[in-house]
Amino acid sequence: MQPDDTLLHLEAVQKRFGGLVVLNNIDIAIGANELIGLIGPNGAGKSTLFNVITALYTPTQGRIRFRGRDITGTAPHRICRLGIARTFQLVRTFLTMTAFENIMVGAVYGSGGRVRHATSAAQDALELVGLSAKRDIRTAHMTLSDRRLLEIARAVASSPALLLLDEPMAGLNPTEIQRMVDVIRRVRAEKGVSILWVEHKVDAIMKVCSRVIVLDHGEKIADGTPREIVANRKVIEAYLGEPAA
Amino acid sequence: MLKQALPQRAWTAIAIVAVIALALVPLLPGAVDSYAFSFLFFVFLYAIMAQGWNLVAGFGGQISLGNHAFFGLGAYTTAILWTGNYLWGSLYDSHPDIYYFDPVTMTLGGLVAAVAAIIIGLPLLSKLRGDYFALGTLGFGEIVKVMFINGGDFTGGAFGVVAPAGTFDTLLPHYLVGLGLMAGVGVAIRLLMRSRYGLALIAVRDDEMAASANGIDVLKVKVSAFAGSAFIAGVAGSLYTYYIFHVGPDSVFDLDWMLLPLMMTVVGGTGTLLGPILGALVMYAVFDLAKIVVPDYHPVISGLTIILAMLFLPKGLMRSFAGRARAA
Ligand SMILES: Nc1ncnc2c1ncn2[C@@H]1O[C@H](COP(=O)(O)OP(=O)(O)OP(=O)(O)O)[C@@H](O)[C@H]1O
Ligand SMILES: [Mg+2]
Repeated sequence: MQPDDTLLHLEAVQKRFGGLVVLNNIDIAIGANELIGLIGPNGAGKSTLFNVITALYTPTQGRIRFRGRDITGTAPHRICRLGIARTFQLVRTFLTMTAFENIMVGAVYGSGGRVRHATSAAQDALELVGLSAKRDIRTAHMTLSDRRLLEIARAVASSPALLLLDEPMAGLNPTEIQRMVDVIRRVRAEKGVSILWVEHKVDAIMKVCSRVIVLDHGEKIADGTPREIVANRKVIEAYLGEPAA
Repeated sequence: MLKQALPQRAWTAIAIVAVIALALVPLLPGAVDSYAFSFLFFVFLYAIMAQGWNLVAGFGGQISLGNHAFFGLGAYTTAILWTGNYLWGSLYDSHPDIYYFDPVTMTLGGLVAAVAAIIIGLPLLSKLRGDYFALGTLGFGEIVKVMFINGGDFTGGAFGVVAPAGTFDTLLPHYLVGLGLMAGVGVAIRLLMRSRYGLALIAVRDDEMAASANGIDVLKVKVSAFAGSAFIAGVAGSLYTYYIFHVGPDSVFDLDWMLLPLMMTVVGGTGTLLGPILGALVMYAVFDLAKIVVPDYHPVISGLTIILAMLFLPKGLMRSFAGRARAA
């Protein structure tokens, strides 16, 4: 990866809550149009990493650069406008709005001027995730799977360069999971974004991603191809526990 | 689920016809001097207050308990500008009625309230928790009242300010201005809620974290809704000055100017366009009747009405009729 090709650069990022170190010394570089899986046991710090990148939390140490620019301490809405969009582990859609209105929020407010025609951008995003038929349904009446797709569409409508997905498959059935995989692939192919994808379904990650990062107890313990990851001793220990001495 | 009883267009048509009908009421013989006429004036006044509260609380999800303070600020601004003749100089001598329903004076009443809202809204709304805001605005109301009591000659102390009464022998201008403002505020809020700003306001109400993660400057949206709410309350206070003339701390900073519009909105339907107006009409009728029928039990009866309304119409009149939350 060329240095000028780097989209997001985390440099020695630390996040502490009181005495609890949740992220420690994290270095990650993400290039253009990558699809990266981010895995790790419960409580490893994956969601916290997303919250630090999107400025819901301020890192206690370290720097975050986006396209070479230091964005540490920038407000969350500015981060989105700069081109980092996300979804949430516990889905967060605007429940009293229709599907279309939800996506309009991303297109109108999230794009920081990149989207000229918000309505057609929103329509495109809706089609991309296959929810066109549910355009005028209120989110409160939608299924979990549709809400997760909607959240992705809303993020895509802001025309981001980097998309952070926090467990988009959680709670979905096998059919819905297959659909989600297709959507994630399509978003990457058609929108040219980079995707950092947190998932507990490791098999899906290994199949779809060309690069996988592993967090454990707030440390980055591995970063490589799926083939390298499955053979990594630290990863095996993290997932299977300490080997009996 | 209730079916959508009436489509949105029907509600719009009903609202337009109602406003036209109300505008024609003064033409009926004897109407202007009837009790119903002043009753309707107060319905308009409360409806405007309720719409103001609904903007920040119903659409924006930020529970303000300080709108009576903005009402009072608008009322005082009007009375002080008028009494001191701060605006019109020698024109006032040749046109002694110049301060009556003067758009400049009334707008300034709204602006003073809006500026106050921005000053207290910025610190209170940057806290994440909504109860800070509710309690903070309640405290603000008390502080403003004390400040006006201790304001010396400028605010007239505990007595207040008496505007130089001129030619008030008919309620007709009050009625028409009240009706016009109620309709105007309704149209303005409708346009606002259909604009991009409305999208942001609902997003913030529904989910602040998702709103900011999708590019919305949450603080800006909240503070501006609060300022808009205060502006509306300030203009209502200004209108009240032309009715009451004597603007005193106990009358215009009375908690009722916040509590009654709040109840009216809840009964009519928070977060709907016509709910506050419908609620103002129904609840003001109930309060008024209770006062006439059983003067001693008035607070109990109005309290009971609210409890009954919450029990049987938990979503408010508007939603129960219209079926859809944001239908009208
Ligand atoms: N606001 C907070 N205050 C204190 N501790 C926190 C906070 N947020 C997260 N944590 C702690 O940080 C650790 C990492 O949490 P995080 O949610 O990032 O894990 P995760 O990898 O996303 O886990 P999961 O797979 O279960 O979603 C946990 O121990 C959690 O309790
Ligand atoms: Mg998580």
